[in-house]
Amino acid sequence: MKSKNLSEKILRSVKSKGFKYIDLPSVIEVNHILQRSGENFRKFIFSFIDQNGSELCLRPDLTIASCLRYLENDLKGKEKIFYSGQAYRKSLNKKDSIIREQVGFEIIGSIDEKNDDKEIINTALKSLSSLKYSKGTLKIGNVEIFDLLISKLDIPKRWKLRLSRHFWRESYFNDLLKRLETNSDVDPTIVEIDKKRYLKILKSNQQAIVAGRSIEEILKRFNNKIKDPRRASKGKNVSKIIKEFLKINCPIDKAAEKLNTFFKKNSINLAIDQKYFPTSKKKIQKLNVEFSTSFGRELEYYTGMVFKIDIKNKFKNINIINGGRYDKLISDLGSNKKVPAVGAALNLNY
Amino acid sequence: MIKKLINIGIPSKGRLRKNILKIFKKNKLNLVSERGERDLLGSIKNLPNVKILYLHAREIIERLGDDSLDLGFSGYDLLKESEVNVQKKINVIKKYKFGKATLVIAIPDPWIDVQTVADLEEIAFEFKDKKKKRLRVATKYPNLTREFLFSKGVTQFKLVSSLGATEAYPFTGSSEIITDITSTGETIRANNLRILKDGEILKSEACMMTSRSALKNNAFKRIVKLFSK
Repeated sequence: MKSKNLSEKILRSVKSKGFKYIDLPSVIEVNHILQRSGENFRKFIFSFIDQNGSELCLRPDLTIASCLRYLENDLKGKEKIFYSGQAYRKSLNKKDSIIREQVGFEIIGSIDEKNDDKEIINTALKSLSSLKYSKGTLKIGNVEIFDLLISKLDIPKRWKLRLSRHFWRESYFNDLLKRLETNSDVDPTIVEIDKKRYLKILKSNQQAIVAGRSIEEILKRFNNKIKDPRRASKGKNVSKIIKEFLKINCPIDKAAEKLNTFFKKNSINLAIDQKYFPTSKKKIQKLNVEFSTSFGRELEYYTGMVFKIDIKNKFKNINIINGGRYDKLISDLGSNKKVPAVGAALNLNY
Repeated sequence: MIKKLINIGIPSKGRLRKNILKIFKKNKLNLVSERGERDLLGSIKNLPNVKILYLHAREIIERLGDDSLDLGFSGYDLLKESEVNVQKKINVIKKYKFGKATLVIAIPDPWIDVQTVADLEEIAFEFKDKKKKRLRVATKYPNLTREFLFSKGVTQFKLVSSLGATEAYPFTGSSEIITDITSTGETIRANNLRILKDGEILKSEACMMTSRSALKNNAFKRIVKLFSK
């Protein structure tokens, strides 16, 4: 852990940008975590059962605790907040510390998204000025561009959804691309057998429920699947386009130009303005500012702009700040409304 | 120096127990129990430094992991299901031809639109996005199930732990799908369920296992050799 002095300096610089300090609970209900991140996250949390039989855990990160606070206190409208403290997470790497010291700041519930993105990056840059470093990189990505690209590609709808859903899991995503290049989606012999069953089931009660799904729902999906087959030749081309897209990596001031050249070359009806990005300066302070299409794949909950700052001091490279936009997180946690949110966390464990 | 007692664990019930007792017979190792068949402790005739413990197959794994057993007979599936730090302390010495079974994913047979795990991945997201619920998977093997589903892109689900009769869960409202161990698939079919085409999680069989620390002991190695037939 760094000196108290340093973390206070950082907190002061965040506060000077108009953020309000909040306290967050140390324990949260496990259900919320599983709701957001699925069962696999269980491996990383420290959980226990309380006297009422509810399963609780030490907060594995601060963002989720802060979003829960917004939701549970039924807050509305724009809030600019910051917090500091420890997050507790198991790691597969024995050398990693289970306690992560963080300072985080967020803008929740505002509608001026592009401006908020900029403000979060600027606040991150300001807090960085309390640290000593010789050089570094600010890397910016945007998951939204990937989703736009996918929506324009010539593949069945269920494949578009599938690719968008798994952008953040690189190894499985690559498996998907491999599958897209072959034609093993629908097995003709099984379809024949099931067509007979299909006709038989068609005569039964459509509203009947089998393990949570109605007969109607099952038949509808079966129908869609057979009517929307995928051709291997097309799949190969689509896979090539995606792979090429994910290789785009350039200084931020060239991002729009590079992307537009790529879209034109592949006859994709998309154009992106340079103003779309939170900055067009390729150098800020001692940082090189880069754009990367494949960046942002580590965390499932990012929905738009993502960024990270790595710095180099005398001894090593440090991943110091990570952030981005997560517009679906609060609704995933149980809100009826979509609540836009953007934020970043500064890591003090180095 | 006091000779260290060697503890051997044998499943206390079922087919696994029967087949393992046959191995003892084949190797001319006579098991002795002072208080008859229901005795949970025993020994081997003419091997005074060996103690036999009759335990639940799952517990044999746990006890090998904490060194209170030196040698044990149990299922490969149970070893793989155990926690990583337990697995690290256990060596599989021999795999047998009995106790063969496969851990599989089974879905309700009327779900004719679901053939592969890829289909299941879509259904899992439909449950999350449209029904605002998680697809529930009932299982006696939460660790193996979680790892497998995740490796196949199924990330949105909730595990429901089951201790038995898992096949009934989808039809009693306790879960939507299951994973279970099966040798012929008969019970699964009889309960209106169907195994996914690529739904094989793990192939298992009965194994002889040792705790890793026991292998350093020469007297122990001699005992292991007695089971070579």
